[in-house]
Amino acid sequence: MEVCGTHTEAISRSGLRAVLPKKIELITGPGCPVCVTPQRDIDAVIGLARSGIPVACYGDVLRVPGTEMSLEQAKASGAKVRAVYSVEEAMVWQKSEPKVIFFGIGFETTAPMTASIIKRGLVVYCAHKYFPPAMLALSCDPQIKIDGFINPGHVSAIVGLKSYRAIKKPQVVAGFKPGDVLLAIIMLLRQIVAGEAIVENEYRRLVRPSGNRQAQKLLADVFTPADSEWRGLGTIPKSGMAIKRKYVKMDAEVIYGKVINRYFAKSKVKSHQPKADPPGAEKSKVCRCGEVIKGLIPPEKCRLFGRACTPEKPIGACMVSREGACRIKYEYK
Amino acid sequence: MKDGLIKLSHGGGGVEMQELLYDVFKILPKSNDWRGRDQDAAYRQWPGSALRSSSIAGGKGGAKEGQKLVFTTDSYIVDPLFFPGGDIGKLAICGTINDLAVMGARPLGISLSLVIEEGFAIDDLKKILRSIAAVSRREKVAIVTGDTKVVEKGGVRGIVINTSGVGAVNHPVDNSGLRIGDLIIVSGGIGEHALAILAKRFNYQTKLKSDCQPLWRLIAPIKDYLTACKDPTRGGISSALNEMAQKSKVKIVLFEKQIPVKKEVRAMSEILGFSVYDLACEGRFVAGVPKNKIAKVLKILKKLPPVADPPWADKQKPAFIGRVDKGRGVILETELGKRILPMPEGKLVPRIC
Repeated sequence: MEVCGTHTEAISRSGLRAVLPKKIELITGPGCPVCVTPQRDIDAVIGLARSGIPVACYGDVLRVPGTEMSLEQAKASGAKVRAVYSVEEAMVWQKSEPKVIFFGIGFETTAPMTASIIKRGLVVYCAHKYFPPAMLALSCDPQIKIDGFINPGHVSAIVGLKSYRAIKKPQVVAGFKPGDVLLAIIMLLRQIVAGEAIVENEYRRLVRPSGNRQAQKLLADVFTPADSEWRGLGTIPKSGMAIKRKYVKMDAEVIYGKVINRYFAKSKVKSHQPKADPPGAEKSKVCRCGEVIKGLIPPEKCRLFGRACTPEKPIGACMVSREGACRIKYEYK
Repeated sequence: MKDGLIKLSHGGGGVEMQELLYDVFKILPKSNDWRGRDQDAAYRQWPGSALRSSSIAGGKGGAKEGQKLVFTTDSYIVDPLFFPGGDIGKLAICGTINDLAVMGARPLGISLSLVIEEGFAIDDLKKILRSIAAVSRREKVAIVTGDTKVVEKGGVRGIVINTSGVGAVNHPVDNSGLRIGDLIIVSGGIGEHALAILAKRFNYQTKLKSDCQPLWRLIAPIKDYLTACKDPTRGGISSALNEMAQKSKVKIVLFEKQIPVKKEVRAMSEILGFSVYDLACEGRFVAGVPKNKIAKVLKILKKLPPVADPPWADKQKPAFIGRVDKGRGVILETELGKRILPMPEGKLVPRIC
């Protein structure tokens, strides 16, 4: 299983799957941060935007459908929503819009930058997550048959190799060129044949075994692990980054808690996750992003894929995000 | 213009506006063929006479039967206004010249409409006008008519420019004429404009500059050999080639290794997460060429002098990048296999034109 959206894209872009022997199957895992952000968080941020609070966010999350609308639609109907390429653009916007909040999503790759703007006085709605706990949950899920992991290159550049040791499966941290992925597969195969389950590093030109200590320090200063819901995977213990009490004044969920609750009360949006589809619900009418994210089914097994659900009119987050498995499959098919 | 800032009164139709226009006209060169630049509309003799009398490179003497007048328009909202390799003014005039050129049409005249935000620096306006004037002078394509409006602060971001252009052509080259067996060429490296803009926005240190340049002098000597032609602006070559394939009802197969991409473009697009094929060019064209003409076309293009002044002068580096087959869509042959090159959709790029 490759668990990094950038790997998914790089593999598809190079056409690598076509040249792999049939006995090797590359499954796409939950490496897309937009795809695993719960509906509640999307709705809450839309609620803040519609209540007059300017929102800066990464571009990918603009089109994710919330319960009533997307952030993009909220923007079109007058909410102040701006897509930014980096947190620094949000800081610049703050000069003219002091109340701006930043919607922080992503794993350890993007979280340090969010931590830095929290320390510099920008309010954040934090939906960041730690990635290794999700890998641990996947490796323990009896439904998912994985022989080894291709570990995320950029997350590993931050966290190093230590965080993965609890996962008792063969793992190789890989870079993003086709050659990197192929070498990582060879290294995994050697481990599997030898009956080993260790963490190896193919991406040595960027990833140090100890990771990026400065970024780790920043994360530890600003965030603390909390149980967190992953869309499609359920709640994973200690996998969410919660803003520490000392920075509570920068925590949008706390300081705008009443605004969010008022929005949920007024609109059709529920503050809790929608109920799971009833048993026997027609698979043809149901978004199966959850199963796609776990690698249980390829995107094309979802009946909505390419029909009711396309990049132009997405139903699930996996079709919206550039790193979403469904989006990538659709574009590179 | 007294140096300073644009005021609402500059768009008011009164004395200040007349003074502004007087200074604008001083910067923009006049046309020998068009009259009425200061009137409500400009006018000139019908294009046939222009082909007889004009001396611009590429013009043929003698009017022919069935000549067509070509008309195009575009608006420009690029941010930032000034970028390595050009500015919004150069972008505007080149953009309209190029929309005519890729139809095989000789540009005859351009209109220039400015919508300026109150408080805009007049020095910046002058720089933009001088950029337009430089291209106009070199290409001998005049700004023959125009309009100026000033809006209140916040009404627009800085300045918005609209240019419309008229051209003349005997046999328009459109973008739906590809035939099975044709080969596909690109006139130079791709993605340079989009990334020059992004590099400026993010303060990346790079020598990369926009490829923004007028294309008429490149297309004029080869237009009769082209079966289809398009300039890959927003959406890059993915968009342009998908559109051409769809309209021509053919399949285009591209050879990834042969598509010219500068190192800086590849590196920055990887950092920012864009496909180079989706990135805008503002001084390139893609075209279909019959197989038996490809050597001649490439030879002509390679011998042409640069169309820009130093230090932006660039020798032409056209490349053969693909072929036209039976089928539909655009396929990219990569190092390892093949994949579809889709029409770009909803990808976020900064305003680039």
